[in-house]
Amino acid sequence: MMSLQDMKLNVRASPHLKSHRKTDWMMKQVIIALLLPLMAAIYFFGIKSLGLVLVGVASSVLFEYSFQKFRDQPVRINDYSAVITGMLIGLSVPVTAPYWTIIIGSFFAIVIIKQLPGGIGRNMFNPAVGARVMLKVFFSPWITNWVTPGTDAVSTATPLESIGHFSTTISKDVPGLFELFLGVNLGGNIGETSKLIIILAFIYLVVRGVINMKIPLLYVGTVAVISSIYGGFSFDYMMTHVLSGTLIFAAVFMATDYTSGALTPDGKTIFAICAGFLTIAIRLIFNFPGGVGFAILIMNALSPVIDKYLAPRIYGHKKRPKVALVK
Amino acid sequence: MLNMKLKYSRQGAYTEERKSRTEKKPIIKAPQSKTMIYPMNMHIGAPAEPIIEVGDDVNMGQLIAEKKGFVSANIYSSVSGTVEVIQEMMTMHGPHLAIVIKNDFKDTPAPALTSTQEDLTSQDKLSLIEQAGIAGMGGATFPTHVKLSPPKGKSIDTLIINGAECETYSTADHRLMIESAEEIVAGIKELLTLFPIKQTYIAIETNVHDSVAALKHAIGDDKRIQIKELETIYPQGAEKRLIKTLVNREVPSGGLPLDVHTIVANVSTVRAVYLAIQKGLPLMDRVTTVTGEPIKDPQNFRVRIGTPVQVLIDACGGFVEKTGKMLHGGPMMGKPITSGQVPITKGTSVISFLPKEEVKVDERTPCIKCAECLNVCPVNLQPVLISNAYEQGDIDAAERLGAMDCIDCGNCSYICPANIPLLDNIRQAKTEIKARKEQS
Repeated sequence: MMSLQDMKLNVRASPHLKSHRKTDWMMKQVIIALLLPLMAAIYFFGIKSLGLVLVGVASSVLFEYSFQKFRDQPVRINDYSAVITGMLIGLSVPVTAPYWTIIIGSFFAIVIIKQLPGGIGRNMFNPAVGARVMLKVFFSPWITNWVTPGTDAVSTATPLESIGHFSTTISKDVPGLFELFLGVNLGGNIGETSKLIIILAFIYLVVRGVINMKIPLLYVGTVAVISSIYGGFSFDYMMTHVLSGTLIFAAVFMATDYTSGALTPDGKTIFAICAGFLTIAIRLIFNFPGGVGFAILIMNALSPVIDKYLAPRIYGHKKRPKVALVK
Repeated sequence: MLNMKLKYSRQGAYTEERKSRTEKKPIIKAPQSKTMIYPMNMHIGAPAEPIIEVGDDVNMGQLIAEKKGFVSANIYSSVSGTVEVIQEMMTMHGPHLAIVIKNDFKDTPAPALTSTQEDLTSQDKLSLIEQAGIAGMGGATFPTHVKLSPPKGKSIDTLIINGAECETYSTADHRLMIESAEEIVAGIKELLTLFPIKQTYIAIETNVHDSVAALKHAIGDDKRIQIKELETIYPQGAEKRLIKTLVNREVPSGGLPLDVHTIVANVSTVRAVYLAIQKGLPLMDRVTTVTGEPIKDPQNFRVRIGTPVQVLIDACGGFVEKTGKMLHGGPMMGKPITSGQVPITKGTSVISFLPKEEVKVDERTPCIKCAECLNVCPVNLQPVLISNAYEQGDIDAAERLGAMDCIDCGNCSYICPANIPLLDNIRQAKTEIKARKEQS
């Protein structure tokens, strides 16, 4: 019979159990969720969509691997975070985008935004959002050539150009709400056109407990409320703002990023609401369709300050604790 | 609100089926041990002092060590026999002074604590509880008479009976509520005579719903006592959380439940109160679950305090697979022990055995700021920030972040996807904060 003496008992202190939800498990859940918009992209825009995403993933992982090898750091591509960044970049361009734009985007996201500040967990900005905005600013001609799906692809204006610049009405060029929702006959970045599919991905991530649902809900909700007020409570106007552009995609996959977002519960609330304000402000005032990207980057930069002032009140204390700025 | 936040902590390994090994098994009498070991520190507070000498004959229920000071507890022999030695023995807290008694298996009884009088005053009852050496049997082992002695000017209006046994494997309280509901309720009624209590709750988790019928039957039509079924979530039974959940009061930082006019007592403790007041019996035995995957035939034992763990392992038929860890307590807060000579004490509600594969420690990876540790902290700390502060040597910051408010539940380390030893770091920070306070 086995006795205690033969067993070399471990004496590490409590807790003695560990959750199976490791970093790589969480990242894999996001990848599974991203497969939904990827499949929609292939359906709507053809097989090149898969090529764009694969180039994004391959280049992101390769840049991360090379950087960590070069710097003699532990290689952490096994955490799958670079895969997510690559997928997001691939899904964030129109189908007409040349492959090299994706590679430049991946380099910027992985090397400049993520690895230089110290790698996973240390980046102030969301890598994929940073890459999007950078591409938009410097490589606009190649990545804003919107096409509607189909063989006779024609360039179209984005819905947002029709509703921006203080406009409170929707011009006739804007697709119908149902088209905006389903992504049918709609031009745009390949992963972002079908809001229905993104909402399914959102539900998956919430059920898995991987993202905090209040961030996308408050973010989109704020845009809805402000645009509703601004548009004189026109439902169509409000919904056009909500369903257009990157908003829902970014709210689900980018604003919920752990590292670049707020840490504290109240901080997450403020992060989401302010991102909503900024998005609509940038869209209306600057007539700049990239409002979502800038809004998230600005909130990324502010999140350490938000966390500092919104540290949760500890049980049995009257006030929030005084906390130093962390990042 | 909290319940929502703690949902995650049930995922992964943290499932209920671990209780299913013993939840349907009736409490059985543990075999008697030849050697009984009574550590002097089996309660929080000052260790008791031996009042017998080596070679003395003792009877079952005889006082063998006396409480020292107010926050301390008496210790009684749970067998009759001879004092073999008084020396340092291995306990759950490491080596500590203990009385070792050689059992003569005769169970010769010592006189009861008191001749059962008809009209005991509150003072008499409190004194019986104090004499009986009762200490919190949920595991904290805080001397019960101290809990029941509010300082002047502090009134008590709420009594919470803690049957929320939230540790993964424990079923001792669950079985006790089913099998000894009458005695528990009798104990509650005794406590109700001590204070002008306005509200009394028996708190249980929904996964022990089958104990409700027995408790209800025992309560009868006594309107004063209510059963509250709470969500099965760890650490539902933590005293501070329980008070917040049931009566929405927060024990001030560094304070006691008395500060918010509340007494929380574990169901086993309440039964001991009944035995002391109505039967004149000191605390000599308790129910302990012995369980875990490596154990052949897990059991809920009625076991005499002082029984070495090895006796219970043998009574369970030994092991069917290699054990990685033996725990005094459950997997979330239990203390690892290595010797089969460690005795069952007043606070031993469960001895858990973990399989080898659950003991491996995964490699630490960088924090991704997922905020899971904040989400699962029952006292709203930011565990990762305290841990960072400690690792950076900033003990001041760790203190400002509330390290001292940590209740040691282990949720943060359990949930961390990056395997950061959050609780280890917070404990270290606490130790340093305390050390610094003592210096100044």
